Amino acid sequence: MQKMSRRKALQYLLAGTAVAATAPFLESCRRAVTEPPTFPTTSANNIEATATAADLPYLAVARNAEPDALVRAAVDAIGGMSRFVPYGGWVIVKPNICTSYYPYEYAATTNPWVVGTLVKMCFEAGAGKVQVMDYPFGGSPEEAYQTSGIAEQVEANGGEMVVMSSFKFKDTKIENALGLHNIPIYEDVFQADALINVPIAKHHGMSWLTLGMKNLMGLIENRERIHRDFGKLLTDLAGKIKPQLTVIDAVRILTNNGPTGGNLADVTKLDTVIASPDIVASDSYAATLFGLQPSDLDYVRVGAENGLGRSDLENLNIKEIDLVA
Amino acid sequence: MKTSTSKKSTLSRKPLDWGRVRRVAQGLFLLTWLVLWVSTAGLSLDARLLHLPAKIDPLLALTQSIASRTLTVEMLLSLVVILITILFGRVWCGWICPVGTTLDLFSFKRSKITKPGVPEIWRMGKYLLLLATLIAALFGNLSLLVLDPMTIWIRTLTGGIGPALSTAFTAAEKGLAYIPWMSGPLTWLDHAMRPAIFPTSDVDVRFVWLPVVLFLLLFLLNLVAERFWCRYLCPLGSLLGLISKFAVFKRRVNADCVSCGKCTSICPTGTIDAKRGYASDAKECTMCMDCLHTCPAAAVKFVAGAGLQERMSYDPGRRQLLITGAVALAGLAVLETKPDRLMIGDSHLLRPPGALDDDLLEKCLRCGLCLRACPTGALQASLADAGVTGVFTPVVVPRLGYCLYSCNKCGQVCPVAAIPPLPLEDKQRWVIGNAFIDENRCIPWADGGSCIVCEEMCPLPEKAIVLEERSITRADDSAGILKLPHVVRERCIGCGICEYKCPRGGEAAIRVYRLD
Repeated sequence: MQKMSRRKALQYLLAGTAVAATAPFLESCRRAVTEPPTFPTTSANNIEATATAADLPYLAVARNAEPDALVRAAVDAIGGMSRFVPYGGWVIVKPNICTSYYPYEYAATTNPWVVGTLVKMCFEAGAGKVQVMDYPFGGSPEEAYQTSGIAEQVEANGGEMVVMSSFKFKDTKIENALGLHNIPIYEDVFQADALINVPIAKHHGMSWLTLGMKNLMGLIENRERIHRDFGKLLTDLAGKIKPQLTVIDAVRILTNNGPTGGNLADVTKLDTVIASPDIVASDSYAATLFGLQPSDLDYVRVGAENGLGRSDLENLNIKEIDLVA
Repeated sequence: MKTSTSKKSTLSRKPLDWGRVRRVAQGLFLLTWLVLWVSTAGLSLDARLLHLPAKIDPLLALTQSIASRTLTVEMLLSLVVILITILFGRVWCGWICPVGTTLDLFSFKRSKITKPGVPEIWRMGKYLLLLATLIAALFGNLSLLVLDPMTIWIRTLTGGIGPALSTAFTAAEKGLAYIPWMSGPLTWLDHAMRPAIFPTSDVDVRFVWLPVVLFLLLFLLNLVAERFWCRYLCPLGSLLGLISKFAVFKRRVNADCVSCGKCTSICPTGTIDAKRGYASDAKECTMCMDCLHTCPAAAVKFVAGAGLQERMSYDPGRRQLLITGAVALAGLAVLETKPDRLMIGDSHLLRPPGALDDDLLEKCLRCGLCLRACPTGALQASLADAGVTGVFTPVVVPRLGYCLYSCNKCGQVCPVAAIPPLPLEDKQRWVIGNAFIDENRCIPWADGGSCIVCEEMCPLPEKAIVLEERSITRADDSAGILKLPHVVRERCIGCGICEYKCPRGGEAAIRVYRLD
């Protein structure tokens, strides 16, 4: 090999440095552009409630059937999937797949047939692409998708299990926030045509229950920030992410040792599914399944106070469907 | 460049350039070792295949059998290498060994730097090192296996190059994601690379610089002499060299030799001696066969024949062996003299599930396959945690990664059951240590803040962390309920997810301690 000239060596060195510096440079550019200015906030009253169609029930509850029938009955009662999914559109379904520890019987992860049926209904409504994803806090997503049984049902219905890519969490500004002014949110959520939020109703040590609003924490990074004040911060998050539809899986509920579960003695089979475009109303109704008042949940109370949705169940048009044969 | 030698070979009158065959074989073996290493992360190949890099290495098999007083059938796999060596000499070193191949890639053969001569006597070093390794093994000490080339290979990839590449890849993704049209290709690339090659999200690894620096050192020694490591230091090369003494096929030079000296200058181990009629030492020859093709007189042959290798000036004599043995024994006595009780730092010395401290030290090859298999980064190589004799053995460091409740991969990939292959149900009951809350730092305890992350994360069916509810009156006279975490001692298995996720900055406010 020829001896490298000093000029050549310097050129290589410079080029190498430039390449190595590209990533941090771009990252700093991005930060400069997207970092929100800090200013005092007033209120978050501009968050709109999402339920619109006046003649349809505001919320539907289906009971006493197999999971697929429950999901169909509940979603059809509030206008069917085509109300939420545009023809040819891209849909993201967000179940709760919190860990890779236990299969669905333990009620720590959303019922696979509930998720599978939603995927199927999206395609029936003409969806072009249906992706299912969550970011477990314990174990790898690939394993959690398998253990929960969700991957099998989603793929059987033509949906796609997607492992969330860390580079897609982009720092997102939240206008007029109560406390969460910016947080890295999975960018696909904003690019998809519809987001369907499918939590399982279960116990949680701090917030009593984890339901629809808390399920959205699977779409962000730096989750521990939310723990400081579930009420305000989840209201900010749900107001930003705004799922088109929330379907709460209460086929089996976890009444203790949540959110991770693992003890069948803590599982109660309710065979119930709740559906509504209003995430606060869905969570409010789900609270009653545990014998709680909606206002017992901080995030429901703050969410309702700030116009994210409604928790006054007695004033809502709720359709109760009993499918018992 | 490479082309100059290969061009010559096509013009050559000899039909087969064995040097080229060897280079192809080296490439294929290197690829195989790489694939096996990559697959260890997700256990995407059968565990028995993943054990191969450690099982096929005769030095590891021999020392581990001696130290642990066990002989497993799988260890006999290394007989394949021994058999090859008895037939053909140090073929392992020249054709198969990943460290040897990597050193060939960075041989500085073409650099203008003149290599200082190294006294022949230095070759003795590797034999003395081998002796020390064997004596230590006799006393249940395997610390010197950190110098085995297979463990060096795996350690360098797992503890150095792998994590560094992973970090670089993630950084590049994040940077490129800023370009709008890159999102599609990046997503495709991300799903192609993760989790097959890189973890879904980066795993924390301590001391990444160390294996890299040590490997760079091996490269730099190449500047002193080509394959310096293999000539003067490698304990495996030394063991195989001793076997090669009896090799059936050896390099021999016949009367056609024109004394041109070409073979001497090309030999990567510098063992072809003009003074001895261009003969070589079978213990040093790595059977690279470059001399075969270089010889203009076709005087070099690799043929079968009887006859032992003659004694060389650098072969260790009785005196050197005795001194080395004495030094090894003295060293062992010093290193193994330790306090019987755990010291302050030791209370955080946590071993992987199923592993017992003394047993682990007598079995562990220091190969680091378990670290590669651990999906969370809970397993880290010990540097100071486990003392001098425990360097590069696996320890659990919960602040960097938690022991995943649904995982028992470390036990499955351990080739010698230093981490026993526990069934998942048993592993989930194995007590690594116990969590203790530091009430002076815990957010609810110390600051009256609201935090239940440790309780939330606890994976046990009956949570080992329970919350005590206490009505409080805050400084501003507002009433509230404070949830205070407590550890239920008899439930905790010390998986450490609480310590890992504890939002208190720096040292966690809940930490796992060992119990004995």
